Amino acid sequence: MNWNVIREYLPLYIEALGLTVKIGWLGIILSIALGLVCALILYFKVPLLQVIIKIYIELFRNTPLLVQLFFLYFGLPKLGIRITAQTCGILGLTLIGGSYMTETFRSGLSAIDSIQSESALSLGMKKHQVFFYVILPQAISISIPGFMANIIFLLKETSVFSAISLMDLMFTAKDLIGLEYKTIEALFLLVVFYLIMLLPVSLLGTYIERRVRYAAYGD
Amino acid sequence: MKKRFLTKIVSGISAVVLATGALTGCGSSDSSTTTANNADEQVSESVDTTENTDTAEETSANYRTLDEIKESGVINIGVFSDKSPFGYVDENGDYQGYDVYLAERIGEDLGVEINYVSTEAASRIEYLQTGKVDIILANFTVTEERAEEVDFALPYMNVALGVISHDDNVVTSLDDLTEDDEIIVISGTTAETYLEKEYPDIKLQKYDAYAEAKTAFENRNGIAWANDNTEVIAFSIENEGYEVGIPSLGSADTIAPAVTKGNETLLDWLNEELVSLGNENFFHADYEATLLETYGSEYEDTLVIENTELP
Amino acid sequence: MQLMGIELLLKGNNFLRMLSGLWVAVRISLVSVILSIGLGLIVGALMTVQNKVIKTVMRLYLEIVRIMPQMVLLFIVYFGTTRVFGINIEAELSAIIVFTFWGTAEMGDLVRGALISIPRHQYESAEALGLSKLQTYLYVILPQTLRRLIPLSINLITRMIKTTSLVMMIGIVEVLKVTQQIIEANRRTSPNAAFGMFATVFMMYFIVCWPISLLSKHLEKRWSDR
Repeated sequence: MNWNVIREYLPLYIEALGLTVKIGWLGIILSIALGLVCALILYFKVPLLQVIIKIYIELFRNTPLLVQLFFLYFGLPKLGIRITAQTCGILGLTLIGGSYMTETFRSGLSAIDSIQSESALSLGMKKHQVFFYVILPQAISISIPGFMANIIFLLKETSVFSAISLMDLMFTAKDLIGLEYKTIEALFLLVVFYLIMLLPVSLLGTYIERRVRYAAYGD
Repeated sequence: MKKRFLTKIVSGISAVVLATGALTGCGSSDSSTTTANNADEQVSESVDTTENTDTAEETSANYRTLDEIKESGVINIGVFSDKSPFGYVDENGDYQGYDVYLAERIGEDLGVEINYVSTEAASRIEYLQTGKVDIILANFTVTEERAEEVDFALPYMNVALGVISHDDNVVTSLDDLTEDDEIIVISGTTAETYLEKEYPDIKLQKYDAYAEAKTAFENRNGIAWANDNTEVIAFSIENEGYEVGIPSLGSADTIAPAVTKGNETLLDWLNEELVSLGNENFFHADYEATLLETYGSEYEDTLVIENTELP
Repeated sequence: MQLMGIELLLKGNNFLRMLSGLWVAVRISLVSVILSIGLGLIVGALMTVQNKVIKTVMRLYLEIVRIMPQMVLLFIVYFGTTRVFGINIEAELSAIIVFTFWGTAEMGDLVRGALISIPRHQYESAEALGLSKLQTYLYVILPQTLRRLIPLSINLITRMIKTTSLVMMIGIVEVLKVTQQIIEANRRTSPNAAFGMFATVFMMYFIVCWPISLLSKHLEKRWSDR
């Protein structure tokens, strides 16, 4: 290991980390939003829309992100729909993430006992009140560990962005190996930067999971 | 509660340190027997190489000698599988192209089977240094930097860089680019190295594979595509709507087979082979078989190199 | 032109080549899952051991698998090991090593969960019957946990098949790479092939993974009811 090389490469990796974090978190926020909307549509059984969403979920949960990205980035422009690599990365992550988030959130919603909504209704609450004040808060808190797992999964998935020319961490490592043949240094920094990006999220996830479990046991 | 979280963080951080060591150190091999062996090896290696750590990489022989290749009956040759007409795969799954034509002959003259290994530009050096292939025949341009990492045999083709663009917006000079214009390059090619060095302000859009770069270029994800001029000229001839605005850029270079550094028996054999091929005008035949359809005969003498004497 | 590349499937052996590319992916995941189940049973048992050193090692192992993208592990095993040890690991073997490394951790964690959920009195009764620790594990505990593990390991297969698309990046010629080769070889006659061909790969993955994940869901529901 040559520390001068590491010092020289460091700024490149910091820049790449910035891009990875930016695209990763934008994609994650949008996936959560998409997941919430889709889960609500499924919960309220909105006609037609729920069928479309079910098909969407099955399609995107059962195909690799890399293939989705290739299709979006290289395939779609052939129909005249052209998107930049960054947009494509965010879009791809949102689509695959949305399908996972929907599933997590939906199982959270279905975990709330129907007795609860019946008792709330009998207390004189309106239907939408029951949903927003009784069901939704509980469903969200139940789903949080699942959300955290999805977030880690999505942040890891960003490593395939290099295939569509986004200069993320993986790309930087590959590029340096190809340009300057310093394999060991490039891989070492790659590992370190993924740890920097993911370890805090992973620890937070474990912590929250424990908190939620306490909350569940508390009652 | 808080205290527990804190100890978790501390243990987490120490885990990072350990994990990084484990990952980079033992490559996360999960079988316990091999890790044990590796650990031993690593120790003895680090003892041996305390004096000259610099040469450590070169002394570990990651190649097969000529005799070992002949004995095994198979030679591993790294070629492109998506760079028509130099190295590509036809609809029957067979490798074809100018580089492959040479590879076939090498296999024949060695009397061994050929195992083609599909390579990307950026992995060519890595494949040789890690012994994953015996020879690289993937349109590999000879440069000083690369010659420090691998050994090149005699050249068999001339090359320079070229830039191609869509014919409704032709780039004729790299100095005219605006800030938003991105140039497509393939990771690990001489075009990438050249532009990084000579035009550090130009934004590059990098792809691993030829197929990806070309499709992205067709889709107008970049204003132009910089690569070997042979390649961009071929693209402009084969496909409509494109123009090579800069036909020659950078210095005139050559393309040659490469072997792992220090593999002298194979290198010597290759050089002798290339000279004897030069004497029978093999590469003209190669050109006519693989490139004529694309380039016509006008490029034949400027592209092809026939060697007549050993270096 | 109108077909956007679908016509290329019928040319020469193209479709067969894509299928055999997909088989490479499926083969890698099947081998890895089988190895993961075997090793996972051992690792899972180790995770329940009350030894500090073993516990720390296991935690570390789990955490690495949890955070490191599979692609990074692939690069380390494929390119890194040769650099550090001078051992040349073939691409497909590297992929199997990485996928097994990942699968074993997941299976191990599931086995651990299943093991600690088995009531204490079963261990005690087995001991009272004169069974050794190993016998208890093999004949009493394991059969009960297997039923819970099967749907989850089927689920792991689909996730592995999806992840195999990454092996293209370490030079394995699988379905995505074959597709690129076909697009490249026919660029002149079918310039829009990228659309149809990548759509085909997308559907191929879906057709393989969807039934498997349905099966896993079905088994999970059926066996958790009892």
